Amino acid sequence: MKYKKFLAPLAFALGLSAAGAASAQTLTMGVRGGPESMDPHFSALGSHAEAAKHIFDTLVWSGTDLQIEPGLAESWAPVDEDTWEFKLRKGVKFHDGSDFDAEDVKFSIERIPAVSGPTTTTIYVRRVASVDIIDPHTIHINTDGQAATLPNDFIRLFIVSSEAAADYSTPETAAEGFNSGAAAIGTGPYKYVSWEPKGDLVLEKNPDYWRGDGAWEQVIRKEIPNDSSRLAALKAGQVDVINYVSSVDYLALERDADIDAIKGDSVYIMNLQLDQREDTPLVRAIDGSDLDANPFRDLKVRQAIDHAIDRQTMVDIVLEGLGKPANQMMPPGFFGSSEDIPMPAYDPTKAKELLADAGYPDGFEVDLYCTADRLPGDGAICQGLGQMLTQVGIKTNVNAISKTVYFPAQARLEYSMFMNGWGTLTGEASYTLGGLAHTNNPDVKLGAFNRIEYSNPEVDELLQSGAKMMDPDQRRATYEQAMEKVMADKAYISLVQLQTVWGAKAGTVEFTPRFDEDTLAFFIKPAN
Amino acid sequence: MLGFIIQRLLQAIGVMAVMSVIVFCGVYAIGNPIDIVIPPEATQEIRDAAIQRLGLDKPLYEQYFIFMGNLLQGDLGRSFVYNIPVLELIGGRLPATLELVLISVISATVLGVSLGIYAGYRPDSWVSKTIMAVSVLGFSVPSFWVGLILILFFAVNLGWLPAGGRGDTVEIWGVAWSFPTLDGLSHIVLPAVNLALFKLAMMIRLARAGTREIMLTDTVKFARAAGLSEGTILRRHLLKLISIPIITVFGLELGSTLAFAVVTETIFSWPGVGKLIIDSIGVLDRPVMVAYLILVAFLFVTINFVIDLVFALIDPRVRKGATA
Repeated sequence: MKYKKFLAPLAFALGLSAAGAASAQTLTMGVRGGPESMDPHFSALGSHAEAAKHIFDTLVWSGTDLQIEPGLAESWAPVDEDTWEFKLRKGVKFHDGSDFDAEDVKFSIERIPAVSGPTTTTIYVRRVASVDIIDPHTIHINTDGQAATLPNDFIRLFIVSSEAAADYSTPETAAEGFNSGAAAIGTGPYKYVSWEPKGDLVLEKNPDYWRGDGAWEQVIRKEIPNDSSRLAALKAGQVDVINYVSSVDYLALERDADIDAIKGDSVYIMNLQLDQREDTPLVRAIDGSDLDANPFRDLKVRQAIDHAIDRQTMVDIVLEGLGKPANQMMPPGFFGSSEDIPMPAYDPTKAKELLADAGYPDGFEVDLYCTADRLPGDGAICQGLGQMLTQVGIKTNVNAISKTVYFPAQARLEYSMFMNGWGTLTGEASYTLGGLAHTNNPDVKLGAFNRIEYSNPEVDELLQSGAKMMDPDQRRATYEQAMEKVMADKAYISLVQLQTVWGAKAGTVEFTPRFDEDTLAFFIKPAN
Repeated sequence: MLGFIIQRLLQAIGVMAVMSVIVFCGVYAIGNPIDIVIPPEATQEIRDAAIQRLGLDKPLYEQYFIFMGNLLQGDLGRSFVYNIPVLELIGGRLPATLELVLISVISATVLGVSLGIYAGYRPDSWVSKTIMAVSVLGFSVPSFWVGLILILFFAVNLGWLPAGGRGDTVEIWGVAWSFPTLDGLSHIVLPAVNLALFKLAMMIRLARAGTREIMLTDTVKFARAAGLSEGTILRRHLLKLISIPIITVFGLELGSTLAFAVVTETIFSWPGVGKLIIDSIGVLDRPVMVAYLILVAFLFVTINFVIDLVFALIDPRVRKGATA
């Protein structure tokens, strides 16, 4: 018993400063990923934009459900076919006290191509041809052809100060200027204090924020990539809130009275993708011989695969309840999601019949590839998928691999059957269908992520006309129709929509989960 | 001696050159980093522009020679992911790894050798048997699991020590160190213990085996016959004789722990270089990977070189052999 007497005061002294970190005025967040630079225009990565939203504002804001709302722009409207007018918010000040005006918007848009990194932010301004300043609070954006979804592109268009960042807008100077804080001057809810790559981002309140007074004097955003370590930091009281609680830990937290688990829907949907080329590399007959044709080009085979998948079991068993069955590539309620698509029925008998009808009574063999380290549960879903398909006669060799190997190989079109998640981060269908479902055609800048050479002329037609429709209702109906056609073709088979869990010390904070999974300090309120 | 040093230096350069080629080709074979980091809305034009900006459109040998050309001018390149010089990125995190590894390896060695000598000197006592039994645990239990248990017990259940991260730092010679502060020390304890366990077990076994062997030799018999005290025999004769294998292992362990403390750094969110390299591999950040592995090769060659010098100091036979 002696050693306890000796150790207790020692440990108390050592642990003192750790316990002191959590005071009422400070919010400490443990997050999985962090920014790659303090320059908001450097990367389009989700965690980068999430961090940037603390210091900078965007022209257009995307709300909790990804609906677009006024941000630094108060309103916007098309002037003619290829011009949009944005009215800017008046009376907004940067952290250094200077005024926000049209010059800053023009400057921000124009510096992006020069300073963007490999996860390129040029996607946000890809439709912008030029910017005209009409008066200090009105700008005209001239687009490259019609751009009906331009305001959606601008939800991650961060506005930096044209004065503070003037000398820091070349590839060599940008990182230095922003990382040191000299140019990290925004209009956002928090001011930059310090940051180190992969370490802590320390922020203090901007008392003049245009949205109103924030709840926290100081915000510390700690990067803790390991799921178990992040949870341990929360349990030990080092952080107040964490994101991305794993499904295994979620079950335990449900029974833990000290921790609140907050569950929210995610934009990510897992899609099974079936190669539509005449020759596909990783399919063969059960005895190992070559098949006469690519079986995935036969609609009956694709329907059979759809019927072989038990989505409810996937959710309940594989994902421990952290998900919902999915019948299309976007969550319900998004711009272009259709309510007329039925939930596919799990029917293994019918699947076997369809396979026999298609000329594969004994089935065939295929190598299935999936990511195993990108989204919660992706590897496990892959395993489940393999078993379900094997049960109806499609002998499936499961390869759940690192995203580092998966995505380059997928881009080289090396797979026949593969699965990964896709998040509709803009909340509308042109992003998802335009990238995945249109025939890959660089001339019209569509189909860049169609890695199965899926091509349906009717879908192409709908997507091209939808991109030009300025009337939202008409556009919505067009995209819904395109979605119905794509899902009926079953070259893309949507499986489950994921859900995300945040953890917080019980009864300390209140916040509404966001669809894009951002953890934003300004919208986290202390519970009283 | 000079010839020896020059030979070692040439060897080092050779190893580093081969290393750079292997890493370059290996990363190239995995695929284009752009395909991992490019956002989904990107058009083909945007993708091509990004590839061109990073110089990834050039043939592999050309990219390699550009890299080596810059390297010879002392420029290891810029990280794809952070757009800051690689040296700055690695240099900023090296002190964190250095202090963690030195504390754990040195304390493991001092403690391990003392316990090992005791266990070898009195092999039949119950204390020795306990030491040996515990050392088996150090070997056989995976370190990530031990790390999680340490966190669970000391940070979550007892709340004595922080669960991860690095504590407050002070600047010494322009470098931020955390071990001189109380907060910094409290953060180091758990990861250092986690890292030290395996090494402790190995040092115990090494020292014990050496001690048992040496105690039976004529050297010890003569020393005893000459009337030297047991303490003097242990300190002056035994310790010197068992130290050669221990120093070799110490050097190798120091090198490999510095380079690959990845597991511990990940579990304890320790902002060191091990975590940096794993994250860089995850996004194929080639400049960081290549530069880091070249530095590691350099580190190992240097450590081996220093060990050879230390041998010469300790063991007159080696010294005479080298000069002859």
